[in-house]
Order: sequence, then C-alpha cells, then structure tokens
Amino acid sequence: MKYLCLIYREEKRLDTVPQSELQAIVGEYFVLTDDLKQSGQYLAAEALQPVRAATTVRVRNGKVSTTDGPFAETREQLGGFYLINGRDLNDAIQVAAKIPGARLGSVEVRPVVDFSKPG
Amino acid sequence: MRYLCLIYDEEKKLAALSKSESEAFMGEYFAFTEGIKKSGHHVGGEALQPVQTATTVRVRNGKLSTTDGPFAETKEQLGGFYLINARDLNDALQVASRIPSARLGSVEVRPIMEFDRP
Repeated sequence: MKYLCLIYREEKRLDTVPQSELQAIVGEYFVLTDDLKQSGQYLAAEALQPVRAATTVRVRNGKVSTTDGPFAETREQLGGFYLINGRDLNDAIQVAAKIPGARLGSVEVRPVVDFSKPG
Repeated sequence: MRYLCLIYDEEKKLAALSKSESEAFMGEYFAFTEGIKKSGHHVGGEALQPVQTATTVRVRNGKLSTTDGPFAETKEQLGGFYLINARDLNDALQVASRIPSARLGSVEVRPIMEFDRP
C-alpha cells in the first residue's frame, strides 16, 4: 500500500539553524532515502522551496486568479514529502518516525488512492 | 524546472456531488492527466484518501507520538498532487489552472528544491 508522508516544519526555525547542523540534517535525509531504497519502501521524495516561492491558483467563472503565497498560513510549513510503500499504516508510521522532520516538526501520513481497485 | 501542484478541495463539497457529477469530475482528471502526459509536463501524481485516514507523527526526545487526523485543520483539505515539469512559473501556473480542482478549490504551486548530494 502506498502512503504519502508530508513533512511540516517551521521555516523560521530552520533559518536559525547553523550551516553545519543544516548539512547534518540534509545528510540524514540522504541516508534515510538510501535506506528506504534498499528496503524497497522508497517510491519518490522531493524537497520544496520555501512557502514564499508558492503561488496559489483558483479558477472561478472561467477566470484564473493567482495569489502569492501558500494555500494556508500555518505555524509549520510543508517542506517536502516521501511517497513510500508500507505493509500497513503501522509500517508507514515507523518509516515516518525516521524522517528527520518528525523530530523537528510533524509528519502527516496519508494513504494514497489506488485507482486500479474498483470502488 | 519542476513544480509540485498541491490540490486542495473541500471534502464535504466533493462528498455532496451526485454519482454522475462525481464520475464526470473523475473523468476530467483522467483527461487532464492524459493531456499533461502528452505535453510532457507530467512527472507524477497521486490522489490521497480523505483526511479522516491521516495520522500525524512526531518524535520528541526520542519518543514517538501519533495523533489521528491531518497536520492542520483547514477549510479545504489536501486531496492530491501533481509533480510537473514546466518551462517556468507561468507555464506551471497555466497547467495548474487546468486541474479540475482549481475550479472548485485551490491549487498551490511550489517549485522543487534541487540539491546535490553532500
């Protein structure tokens, strides 16, 4: 079963982390990614640019409107994701707990819709 | 350049659609996906199960805690995403505006961070 692990952390706090610590965190992410690839749980992962780079798009009555910034202002901001293969929710939670963002912020785990199955 | 299009819909509103409306909406999604595959924009995409299936995980002082539900309660809920390849932000916004949910909800477009391995 596929699960999306959404990584939320406070961008402001990351800005105050010294460069060496940031590099250590990035290093941890690379190790985790390699581990998940070896265990066969890795499907995809991406890191996002900060929310100030976000644009939100809406179409109403055929008219496109765009606003600068993310969809919603939150204390912690979405910073990236892992798409993983988990045996079940517990397995996915175990993986999510290993994401450095779980220590620094929050990781939301959400099952993905399987369109190959009816219903 | 790659962009993540985060799709936010009001789940309640989607649940209130009739079966035929809901099927038409899904059909639009399949057609949209085919379209961006043909145009070379498509890199990936997934639809998520409703927020009631979400679990939020935190580790503090080495201890794992889980809470049921999404990271944050919002009027519209994250329902899926497309990862796309686009020439620039404008091109990405053009693609995002054709996602069926841009009409019903909101689509947040965020550039992907590319970094080299240390």
